[in-house]
Amino acid sequence: MKGSSSLHAKQSIWKKSLNARTALLYLFPSILLFSVFVFYPMFRTIYLSFFLTDQHGSAALFVGLENYAYLLESQAFRNSIKATVLFVLYTVPAGVILALFLALIANEKLKGIGFFRTIYSSSMGISVAASSVVWLFLFHPSVGMFNRLLTLVHLPEVQWLLDPDWALLSVSISTIWLNTGFSFLILLGGLQNIDGYLYESAKIDGAGYWYQLRRITIPMLSPTLFFIITISLINAFQSFGQIDILTKGGPSQATNLIVYSIYREAFVNYQFGTASAQAVFLFLCILIVTILQFKFGERKVHYQ
Amino acid sequence: MKKNVRLLFIFSVIFSVMFMTACTNNESKPEPSNMNEKQKGTEESPGKVEINFWHAMSGAGQEALDRIVADFNSSQDKYTVNAEFQGSYEESLTKLRSVGGTKDAPAITQVFEVGTKFMIDSGYIEPMQSFIDKDNYDLSQLEENILNYYRVDGKLYSMPFNSSTPVMIYNKDAFKEAGLDPEKPPQTFNEVKATAEKLTKPGEQYGFSMLTYGWFFEQLVATQGGLYVNEENGRAGDATEAVFNGEEGLRVFNFLNEMNKAGTFGNYGTNWDDIRAAFQTGKVAMYMDSSAGVAAAVNNSPFEVGVAFIPYADEVERQGVAIGGASLWMSKGIAEEEQEAAWEFMKYLTTPEVQAKWHIGTGYFAINPAAYDEDIVKAEWEKYPQFKVTVDQLQQTKPSLATQGALISVFPESRQQIVTALENLYQGADPQEVLDQAAEGTNRAIEIANKTKK
Repeated sequence: MKGSSSLHAKQSIWKKSLNARTALLYLFPSILLFSVFVFYPMFRTIYLSFFLTDQHGSAALFVGLENYAYLLESQAFRNSIKATVLFVLYTVPAGVILALFLALIANEKLKGIGFFRTIYSSSMGISVAASSVVWLFLFHPSVGMFNRLLTLVHLPEVQWLLDPDWALLSVSISTIWLNTGFSFLILLGGLQNIDGYLYESAKIDGAGYWYQLRRITIPMLSPTLFFIITISLINAFQSFGQIDILTKGGPSQATNLIVYSIYREAFVNYQFGTASAQAVFLFLCILIVTILQFKFGERKVHYQ
Repeated sequence: MKKNVRLLFIFSVIFSVMFMTACTNNESKPEPSNMNEKQKGTEESPGKVEINFWHAMSGAGQEALDRIVADFNSSQDKYTVNAEFQGSYEESLTKLRSVGGTKDAPAITQVFEVGTKFMIDSGYIEPMQSFIDKDNYDLSQLEENILNYYRVDGKLYSMPFNSSTPVMIYNKDAFKEAGLDPEKPPQTFNEVKATAEKLTKPGEQYGFSMLTYGWFFEQLVATQGGLYVNEENGRAGDATEAVFNGEEGLRVFNFLNEMNKAGTFGNYGTNWDDIRAAFQTGKVAMYMDSSAGVAAAVNNSPFEVGVAFIPYADEVERQGVAIGGASLWMSKGIAEEEQEAAWEFMKYLTTPEVQAKWHIGTGYFAINPAAYDEDIVKAEWEKYPQFKVTVDQLQQTKPSLATQGALISVFPESRQQIVTALENLYQGADPQEVLDQAAEGTNRAIEIANKTKK
C-alpha cells in the first residue's frame, strides 16, 4: 500500500510537472544560448572582479573587494559616473521628444509623406562607426562644417570635441541624431496603430488638436513610449562606438563614459579585475534604473 | 501590434543567424590554411614550409609589405609567408594573447615598441639572439641606434622592422611671411616659443602644436637626457616607479603651458588626422609629427614644407631621439622548420634592397643603413630632401639610457595618463600637479603589473 501510494505520488509529481517540463523543453534552446553568451560571461565577470589579473588577463591575485573600494575612491571613476549620468540626461529626453515630434508630423496624411518618413528613419540604416566618422568631419576644428558656418556668421569658432565643456554635448548631439531613426520608426508604428474612430468621436465632441494629443495620442502611445524610453536609457548607458571614434574618452576624461572606461581598462590596460568591477557596477546601475522605471513609469502606461 | 512583434522576431532571428555565421567564419578561417599546409607538405612540394605573419600595417604600409612578402615568396621555393593584417597594434596584441605560446600562434608577429617589455615577459617568444648566434648573423650592418632600443641585457629579442622618430614639421612660406629664415628652424624650447609668437596670427594661425600623445612627451624628455622610469629606465630590472615628473618632464610641460597661455599653441586633440589637416590648411605653422608622416605632409601641403629636429630645453645639450615603431617577434612552441622559415624571412627583410623599398614606400627608416646608398633611395631623397633630416636626427643621437627608451610593460596605460595630464594642462591646470597625477597613475599600474607577475 505504502509503496503504491508513494509511486502514485511520484507519478502525480511527474504528471503535475508535465507543463513545467514542456515549458523547459521549449525554453531549452534559449537557455542554452543565454548560458553560453550571457550567464557564463556574467558570472565570470563577477568572479574576475575580485581578482587582480596578470599580463595574460587571467586571475592572479585574490583581492576581495579591493577593486570596488578602489573604484569608489577613484576620482576618474566618479568622473565617469558623472559623465554617464549627464550623457543620459542629454540624450534620452531630447532624443525621445525629437523622435515623437517627427513621428507626429510624419503621421499626417499628406502627399509624398513616404519620402519624409524614409528620410526621418534613415539614420537607422547607418552604422554607428560610419556616421561617427561623418560627424568627426563636421566637428573638425580647422576644416569642419560647423566651424565654417560659425565663421561665416562671424561667431567665434568652437572646439567641439577638444573643449571639455563642449565635448560631451557634441557627442550627445551625434548620439541623438543616431538614435532618432529607430525611435521615430517605432513611435510612428505606435501612432498608426491608434484607432481612427477615437479621433473621429473626439472631433464630433469638438476637441482641438492639442486636446486630442494630450488625451488620446499620448495615452494610446504610452506603451510604445515606455518601450522607447527604456531602450534609449539602456542604449545611452551602453554607448561606445561614437565615443571611441569621436573622442576616445577625452578631453580631460570629459566623455569617458563607464562603458568606454571598462573597455580601456580591460583591453588597453589589461586590468580585467578593475574592468570587471566597473562592469558589475554598471550592471547594478542599469538594473536599478530599469526596476524603478517599471515601478513608477509603468503606472502611467495605458494598455488597451 | 502583432505584426510588429512578428517583424521584430524575424529581424532578431536574422541578426542572430548573421552573428553566428560571423563567429563560425572567424573560427574556421585558420583551418583551410592548415589544410593547405599539410597538403602542400605531403603532396605538392615536399619540404615547403608555410608560416603566418601577423602585422598591423594598413594603407601604404600594407601595400609595401604585401609587395615585399610576395617578392620573398617568389624569390625561393622553400618557404611561403602569409601576411595577415590583424588590426591596430593593440588589437593584434590582444589576439596574440589568446594564442601566444601555442602551436596556433603565428610564426612572426609585429608588435609595437612599447609592447617590448610585455613580449619579453610573456614567454611566447624565441629571442632573436639565439638565431643570430646560431647563424653568426652580422648585426653590425644594422642601424645601431635602432638596435639599441630593442636590445635588453645585451640580447636582441626581436628584429627591428618599421622604425620612426618624431620630427618637427614647419611651414616655410609662413616663416618667410613672418620675416623668419625658413632654412633656420628654431632649435630650443625658448627659440620655438619666440618663433611661435612671431608666427601666430590671432584667429587665423597658431605658431606651434603637438598631438596630445604620450610618445611626443617621452621624446621631449629623452632628448634632454631625462629618464621615464627608475631602474635605469627599466633596463636594469623591473621598474617600480615613474620618474618622468622630474625636472625634465616639468620643463616640457612648462614649455607647452607657456605657449598655451600666450595663445601661440593650437590644441588639435588626440587624432593624427586632425593635426595634420590643421597644418596642411595653414592653421598651424609648426607641429610635431612622426618621421613616417613626412612624405604625406610634403605632398598634401599647398606650401613649402620644412623638417627639423625636435626641440630641446635650453639648459641641456641635445641628446637625440628614441626609436618608435614596431619590431618582429618569433613565436616559441611552433615547429622548428617554421622558426627557420621565419628567420629566413627576417634576414630577407633586413637586406639593403628590401629596406630601400620599404623606406621609400612608407617613410619608415631603413634598419639597414646600406639601403640609403641604393639608387632608388637617392632618387627619392632628391625629390624629398626632408627625408634626410629624419635620418640625420637618428644618426646624430647619442646612445644613452634616455635615448634607448624606457622599458615597462604598462606603457599603454602610462601614455593614457600623460594624455589626460596634457589635456588638463591645456585647460589651465598646474603643470607639476598634473604631471604628479600622471606619475601616480603610472605607479599604480606598475605596482599591479609587478604584483601579478609570475
